[in-house]
Amino acid sequence: MGKKRKQVRIFLAAFCFLLPFLVLYSLFTIWPVIQGFYVSMHKWTLMGKQEFIGFENYLDFLGDKSFWGALKNTFKFVLITCPMLVVVALSLALLANRPTRMKRSLRIIYYLPSVLSVSIASLIAGSVFAPYKGLLNGVLVWAGIIKAGEDLQFLMDKSLVWVTVSTMTVWWTVGFSMLLFVSALQEISPEMYEAAEIDGATKSQQLRRIVLPLLKPTIWLVILLQTLACFKVFGQIFNITGGGPANSTRPIIQYIYESAFEKGKMGYAASMSYVLFAILLVFSLIQQKIQRKGESR
Amino acid sequence: MRKKKITPGWLALNLISIVMAVIYLAPVVFAFFVSLQHEGKQIKSIFSWFTPPYTLENYPFIIMNSQVPTWLFNSIFISVVSTVLTLIVTSMAAYAIAKIPFKGSRWFFLFFLLGMMVPGEATIVPLFITVNKLKLIDTYAGLILPGIAGSMNLIIMTSFFKGIPDELLEAVKIDGGGYWTMFTKIIVPLSKTILSTVCIFSFIGSWNSYLWPLLCAMSSEMFTLPIGVPTFAGTYTVDYVLPLTASMVASLPMLIIYIIFEKRIVSGITLGAIKG
Repeated sequence: MGKKRKQVRIFLAAFCFLLPFLVLYSLFTIWPVIQGFYVSMHKWTLMGKQEFIGFENYLDFLGDKSFWGALKNTFKFVLITCPMLVVVALSLALLANRPTRMKRSLRIIYYLPSVLSVSIASLIAGSVFAPYKGLLNGVLVWAGIIKAGEDLQFLMDKSLVWVTVSTMTVWWTVGFSMLLFVSALQEISPEMYEAAEIDGATKSQQLRRIVLPLLKPTIWLVILLQTLACFKVFGQIFNITGGGPANSTRPIIQYIYESAFEKGKMGYAASMSYVLFAILLVFSLIQQKIQRKGESR
Repeated sequence: MRKKKITPGWLALNLISIVMAVIYLAPVVFAFFVSLQHEGKQIKSIFSWFTPPYTLENYPFIIMNSQVPTWLFNSIFISVVSTVLTLIVTSMAAYAIAKIPFKGSRWFFLFFLLGMMVPGEATIVPLFITVNKLKLIDTYAGLILPGIAGSMNLIIMTSFFKGIPDELLEAVKIDGGGYWTMFTKIIVPLSKTILSTVCIFSFIGSWNSYLWPLLCAMSSEMFTLPIGVPTFAGTYTVDYVLPLTASMVASLPMLIIYIIFEKRIVSGITLGAIKG
C-alpha cells in the first residue's frame, strides 16, 4: 500500500513537470494532425465548418491542374536544388577544412547567409538578381558578358527564374550542410592521410579513395535532410517570384496557402496538406533509418 | 605535423576559397552599401551603388516613417518570450523524463518523439483553425505558443540530463529537498552549456520564423520584421535604397548575435543534426 502511494506521488510530481510541455505539444503539434484529417473531410471555409463531404476534397485535387502543377514545381525545385546543395556544401566544406589560416573565417562567411530570415534573404537576393540596377546584371555588364540595357530577366524568364530561386536557396541554406561535412571531415584521422601520402597517393586520389568513401553516411544524411527541406520550399519563392511567372514556380505549400487563406477553401487545403505530409513522412522515416544505421557503426 | 608545400594547386584552392567567400558576402555587402546611398541616385553602372557620397539618413528615416520600430519591438518581444518559455517548459519536461523514475515515463517520451515526424508546414491549416478557435489569431500568445514545445529540444535536453550523475540528486534528497530543488539547484546549473545552445537556437528560430507569423499576424501592428519588411519593401518598387535599409535593420541584430556566438552556433548545429 505504502509503495503504491509513493508511486502515485512520484507520478504526480513528474506529471507536474511534464504538464506545460504536454499541453502545448498536444494542442499545437499532435492535435492539428488529427484535426487536419477531420477538416479535410468537410467543406470548410474561413467561417468554419460547412458540411461533411467525405473524400470529395481528395478527389477534387486529383483532377486539379493547379495542384499537379504545384506538385511538379516542387519536385522540379527539389531535383534542381538538392544536388546543387550537396555538391556546393561538400566543396565548401573541403575548402574550409584545409589547414590554412583563413579556415575559421571561411566557415563563418559560408554560414553567414543562413542566419537571415527567409524573407530578408529573399529581398536581398531579389535586388541582386533584378534587371538594370541589380548586382548580378551590373557585374555581367561590367565584365562585358552582356550589353548594357540587355539585362537578363532573372525574375521573369521561365527558365532563368529557376536559376534564381535555386541559387538563392543554395546561398542561403548551404551553411548547415557544409558544417555537417566539416565535422565529418574532422573525424577522419590525420594518420589516414599520412599513410596515403607515404604510399604516394596524390591529393585527388586521397579525396576519391579515402575522403569520399568515409563521408558516405554524411552524404546520405545531407541528401535526405536537404530533400526534406526542399520539399518544404515556400518563403523564398513566395517572396522572390510570388510563384510566377504565370504560376510556373508556385510550390505546393504556396498553393495550399492560397487555397486556404486567399480562396478560403480550408478543407481542400487540408486534404492537400496530407499529400505533402505523406511525402515528407516517407523521407523522414528513411532519414531516421539511415541515421540509426550510421550511429550503430 | 605535415609540412606545407606552396604549390600552384595550393594557391589555386586558396584563391577559390576567397572567391567563394566574396560571392557569399557580396549580397549582404551590396545591401549594406545601397542602404548608405541617397534615394534616387543615378545608377550609371554597378559601381554607382558602392561609391560615395554616403549618408546615414535612411536609417532614422525608416525608424520615423514606417512601422519598422513596431515590428522590431514585436520581433524582440516574441523572440525573447518564446526563448524563455521554450527553455523553462522543455527543461522541466526533459527533467521529468530523464530523472524522475515514474511509471509511463517511456510512453510519454515515445509520444513526444512523434513530433519529429510532423512537419509544421503540413499542418498550418488545422493549426490556424485551432488557434482561431482559441481566439489567439493576431495576438502575441498565438504567435508564441505554437512554437514552444518542440521534440528536438526535448530530445537534446533529455539525453544531456541523463548524463548527470544520480548521486548529486541523492544528496539533495538526503538534505530534505524535493524534485523542484533538485531541478533548480542541480540540473539547471549543471546544464548551462546545453541550455545556452538551445537558447541561441530558439532565439534565432523565433526571430527568423516566417510561415506561422505570416498566417497568425493579421494586422500590421502585430507583424514581426520578417513579415513587415517585405510589405514595406513592396511599396517601393522602383528604388532599392529604403527596402534594403529596412532589410539591414532586420538582419543586423541577427548578424551581430551570430558573430558573437559563432562557436556555440557551429557546435550546436552538429549536435542537433547528430542527435536528431
